[in-house]
Amino acid sequence: MNPVVRARDLVKAYPAGNALDGVGFDLEANTIYGFLGRNGAGKSTTMSIITSQLFATSGTVRVFDEDPYENPRVLGRMCFVRENQKYPESMTTAHALRAASLFYPGWDHDFAERLVADFRLPLKTKVKKLSRGQLSAVGVIIGLCSRAEITFFDEPYLGLDAVARQIFYDRLIADYAEHPRTILMSSHLIDEIADLIERVLVIDGGRIIMDETVEEATSALTRATGPTAALDRLARSHRVLERRTMGSAGALVFHGIPSEAESETATHAGVRLESVGLQESIVHRTAAAATATGPELSPTSMEGALS
Amino acid sequence: MSQTARIVNVIRLQFVNRQPFLWIPLLVFGLAVALSLMIYAMIPETGPKYGGAAQAPMWTFLFVGVSAMTLTFPFSQSVGLARWEFYLGSLAAAAVGAAALASAFIVQGFIERATDGYGMDGYVAHLPWLWESGWWAAWLTFFVFTLMAFVLGFWSATVFKRWGMTVLVAVLGVLGVAIAGALLVVSRREAWGEVIAWFATAGCLQLTGWLALLTAVLAGLSYLTLRRAVP
Repeated sequence: MNPVVRARDLVKAYPAGNALDGVGFDLEANTIYGFLGRNGAGKSTTMSIITSQLFATSGTVRVFDEDPYENPRVLGRMCFVRENQKYPESMTTAHALRAASLFYPGWDHDFAERLVADFRLPLKTKVKKLSRGQLSAVGVIIGLCSRAEITFFDEPYLGLDAVARQIFYDRLIADYAEHPRTILMSSHLIDEIADLIERVLVIDGGRIIMDETVEEATSALTRATGPTAALDRLARSHRVLERRTMGSAGALVFHGIPSEAESETATHAGVRLESVGLQESIVHRTAAAATATGPELSPTSMEGALS
Repeated sequence: MSQTARIVNVIRLQFVNRQPFLWIPLLVFGLAVALSLMIYAMIPETGPKYGGAAQAPMWTFLFVGVSAMTLTFPFSQSVGLARWEFYLGSLAAAAVGAAALASAFIVQGFIERATDGYGMDGYVAHLPWLWESGWWAAWLTFFVFTLMAFVLGFWSATVFKRWGMTVLVAVLGVLGVAIAGALLVVSRREAWGEVIAWFATAGCLQLTGWLALLTAVLAGLSYLTLRRAVP
C-alpha cells in the first residue's frame, strides 16, 4: 500500500544549528506510530513541517501523494494539536471543541461529550485559565474526535495524571479499532505507550535512527545476568552495548537474540537471558548512536531524559 | 466538505465566540454614545453639538485583527486549514463584524435625526459630512474604516510573527515618518487650507474610495506576509 506520508531529506536550519538534518521516513495508512526522541531531537519540528505549519529549509513532504502546502485537499485530512496549542481569544473549552468540530466531517459529538466527562473538563472555563493537564485534555479530545485520517499527538500527556493518561490510551485504542487511521504520537513515556503503538520512529540529533516495529525494537537487544565466565562467552559472539561486573557476576546487554544452542549453554552456566523493554532498548540504541556521532552519553544518564 | 463550506466555516470559527467581533465593539460604541451624551448635556450652548466618539469602536478592530493572527491563526493550523482559507474566511468575518457595527452606527444616526439629537441637538452618529450623500454613504465609510483597522492590526501582527519586533517597529516607524513627512510638507507650504478644502469637496464617498484602495493594498500585503508565517 502507498504510504500516506512521505518525508525525504528534511533539513531545518537555524542560526544555532540544524534542528533537522536529513529526516526521512514513510507513514503507512492505519498504523499507530510512536515518535520518540530526546528533548530538542526534532519531533515537533518534523510534525510541524508535515502539516506545513513550518517550512523545511530543504527536503520534500508528500501527504497522500500531494504537496500539503496551502492544499486543503490534504491539510483537511490531518489534525495536529500542538503541545502548547494556542486557542482564539477568550474561548471556553466548549467553544474550542465546537470550533474544531467545524472542520472535520467525521467529528463525533457524543464521543467528545463522553471524553469531557472522562477528563472532568470544565466546559465553561476559558481555555487560557485551564490547568496544564486540562489543556492537554482539550488537545486529546480534538485529536480523537476529529477522526482525521492522519492525527498527530505531540506529548499529549503533559500534566495529565496517571488515571487520565490511562483513559486516553484506552479510548485511543478502542476508537482506533473502530475507526482505523494513521496516528503519530510523540512521547517520552515510552513503556507506557509500548502496548499502544505498532511502530517506533526514533529521532536523535535531527536524524531518524530507528524505524521499525515494536517487536523488532524490543527483540533487538538481550540482557544476560550471571557468572562472568559465561558472560564472556556470550560477549565474544555478540556486539556488546553495555557490561557491568560486580565480583564474579555481572550483567551484559548485547545486540540480537542468542541462538538456541547458545541459550542452552548459557542457561546451564547459570545465566538468565531476557529481552530488553522498549524504553531501555531505545535508550541503549540512542546512546550508541550518540557515541558514534558525538559526545559520549551513558544510557543511565539518558534514561532520565527519555522518561 | 466543499471549498466554500470550509471558508464559511472559518467565518463561523471566528464567531463561535461572539465577543471580539460583535459584542465588544458594540459595547464600546454604546459607551462612546453614552459618554458623548453626558458631555453634551453638560454643555450650556444651544447650537448643534457634534462629536467624533463614534470612531472608538472602529479601533477595537485593530485588536481583533491582532488576535485573529496571534491566537486564531495557530488554532486554524491545528485543524488543517490552509493559510489562504483562514485568511479569506477571517477577512469575511471581519466584514460581517464591520457591517454589524456600521449598521448600529446608522441606526444610531436615524435615532439622532428623529429626536433632533436627543432633544439637545447633540450628535454622535448623524454627522453632516458623513451623511450628506445619504445614509448608505455613511454606512460605507464606517464599514471601510473598520475593515481597514482590522487589516492593519492583522498585518502588523503577521509582520511581528514572521520577522519579529524589530522589523515591525521599523515598518511602523517608516510609515509614521512618511505620514509626519507629508504633514510637514503641507505645513511648510502653508497648504492646510487647500487640504481641508479637498476633504470638504471630495466628500466622504471619495475619501472612502481611497480608504478602500488602501485597505485592499494592506490586505494584499497581509496575505503575502501570511503565506510564509509560522503559527
